[in-house]
Amino acid sequence: MYLLRLALASLANRRFTAFLTAFAIALSVCLLLAVERVRTEARASFASTISGTDLIVGARSGSVNLLLYSVFRIGNATNNIRWDSFEHYANDRRVKWAIPISLGDSHRGYRVMGTTEAYFEHYQYGRKQNLELGQGRAFASDPFEVVLGAEVAEALHYKLGDKLVLAHGVAAISLVKHDDKPFTVVGVLKRTGTPVDRTLHISLGGMEAIHIDWHNGVPARGDGRISADQARNMDLTPKAITAFMLGLNNKVATFALQREINEFRGEPLLAILPGVALQELWSLMGTAEQALFVVSLFVVLTGLIGMLTAILTSLNERRREMAILRSVGARPWHVGGLLVLEAFALAVAGIAAGLGLLYAGIAVAQGYVQANYGLYLPLALPSSHEWTLLAIILGAAVLMGSIPAWRAYRQSLADGLSIHL
Amino acid sequence: MSQALIELTDLGFAWPGHPPLLDIPTLRLEAGESLFLKGPSGSGKTTLLGLLGGVQKADRGSIRLLGQDLGELSQSARDRFRVDHTGYIFQQFNLLPFLSVIENVELPCRFSRARAQRAVQRHGSVAEAATLLLAHLGLKDPDLLVRRADSLSIGQQQRVAAARALIGQPELVIADEPTSALDADTREAFIRLLFAECRDAGSSLLFVSHDQSLAPLFDRQLSLAELNRAARSASVTEA
Repeated sequence: MYLLRLALASLANRRFTAFLTAFAIALSVCLLLAVERVRTEARASFASTISGTDLIVGARSGSVNLLLYSVFRIGNATNNIRWDSFEHYANDRRVKWAIPISLGDSHRGYRVMGTTEAYFEHYQYGRKQNLELGQGRAFASDPFEVVLGAEVAEALHYKLGDKLVLAHGVAAISLVKHDDKPFTVVGVLKRTGTPVDRTLHISLGGMEAIHIDWHNGVPARGDGRISADQARNMDLTPKAITAFMLGLNNKVATFALQREINEFRGEPLLAILPGVALQELWSLMGTAEQALFVVSLFVVLTGLIGMLTAILTSLNERRREMAILRSVGARPWHVGGLLVLEAFALAVAGIAAGLGLLYAGIAVAQGYVQANYGLYLPLALPSSHEWTLLAIILGAAVLMGSIPAWRAYRQSLADGLSIHL
Repeated sequence: MSQALIELTDLGFAWPGHPPLLDIPTLRLEAGESLFLKGPSGSGKTTLLGLLGGVQKADRGSIRLLGQDLGELSQSARDRFRVDHTGYIFQQFNLLPFLSVIENVELPCRFSRARAQRAVQRHGSVAEAATLLLAHLGLKDPDLLVRRADSLSIGQQQRVAAARALIGQPELVIADEPTSALDADTREAFIRLLFAECRDAGSSLLFVSHDQSLAPLFDRQLSLAELNRAARSASVTEA
């Protein structure tokens, strides 16, 4: 115990260097933990992009591809599926609810999704949270109504009652616009931190209406054109959709139904379990996440090497201190122990300050990160995984401290009590 | 003949790769005696003190401290033996600057149980023993005791070092040029204080210095140059 007191007093005597050393460790520890926390939360939030949905069904392609376009609004479907296929499964007795999705149009870079009221009722994200309207209402019977995701409304400054024109296709700049059939903003969803925020939602009828006079991918000209009012009075039941989501009455039926859908005779379909596909997708992105982790580990190593350098360079000017200690009865192992304790004290101070920085940082950035990246960073006590990391850092610091300790041990054996330097 | 405190017989020592530095047929220090050992720098006096402290080991001959042959002890046993029975005062910068005055004086009791026990037996507690010793050496101000050691003048620091050497009543106090940083007036006063406290603690004093003017104050004086045959033969060779 007395050695620790000596080590602390000696450090306090060199408080400026000691402070900088501990600060370097603190920053590196803070970075490591921040990366760790963001990593964990990103993974969790990624996994909770969609929840409560048991199966996603689309045209037969790859499961990651289907997940990307149906949930993340990335990429395109290779094929549509027929409306009667959707109806076939929507009316299955095992199915509790079904949400059809129709994609393919956009508005100033944001994807447009055609769906039904079931979407607002049953789609869930995060920890089984339902979508909530921030303003206005869901689209109703009129086909030309649109509900905006939070980010779309904010970025493009739309408010209720505004009119907007959808563009054909999903390119950022589209030459073909559905400008004869403008949509009215009737609702804005609350922020979810998921791709829903970046989506414009219209009814399937609306989606059908804007394409009703299109043939082979180009709009009709002249007399062939159908006005918005005419369209309102026509049958707007779609012939095809892009994909659909299913919620089942009983989760046990999931695998059986999945197999059935995959073997559907009507047309080639693919049913995926969102959780499994998310895992698959995350493993693709895992490399980048691991690289980040490795980089922050190296930053910690740099901090510790800084500490090692600071202690080693102090050794020479502290030979007198060591000789005095020897003359009052400290044995060489005391001198070595003193330096290990010094490294230990610096590391503990660094880790404590690093945790302090982390919590201060989270407290400050929590709201911003949640709003902008949809990541919820909890102000929670370190997890057991984080404690393990901290213990490893502390162990590494003590191990590094044993290098100057060994040198001081040798040095004090050779120097003895002579302090005539 | 009573048992000598230090009994050195036929001591030989050389640093590896160097000619013999010490060759001393005999040297005795009786219990309670004060001995002035005159040694100019380079005469091997630091090495001799290192040998007496058990930091180095003699190549030849024996060093007995309180009847114990240091050569028979292991390195760590020699370390323990040294602190239990010997107090040191050096030229200057004796103190750990970042500790308080009183903490500096208490240091030997932190590392030697024997000296802590003796301090407690005699004065009730280590802190009490340190305070008393400092008071005897003219450092009475309680504010001064808790100040950082390096805030004191050199003269005061040397008195703190003396208190530290004496705490827990070691049988032997070794002083290596303790007065060389002091001016002439305080020098003699310091030595008289040191004598008084050594007598009080029952410690023998081995005082090493090149300053011949201090020699008459001591019970006995010796010259390391005359004692050390290695030095004599070296000077003969040089001549």
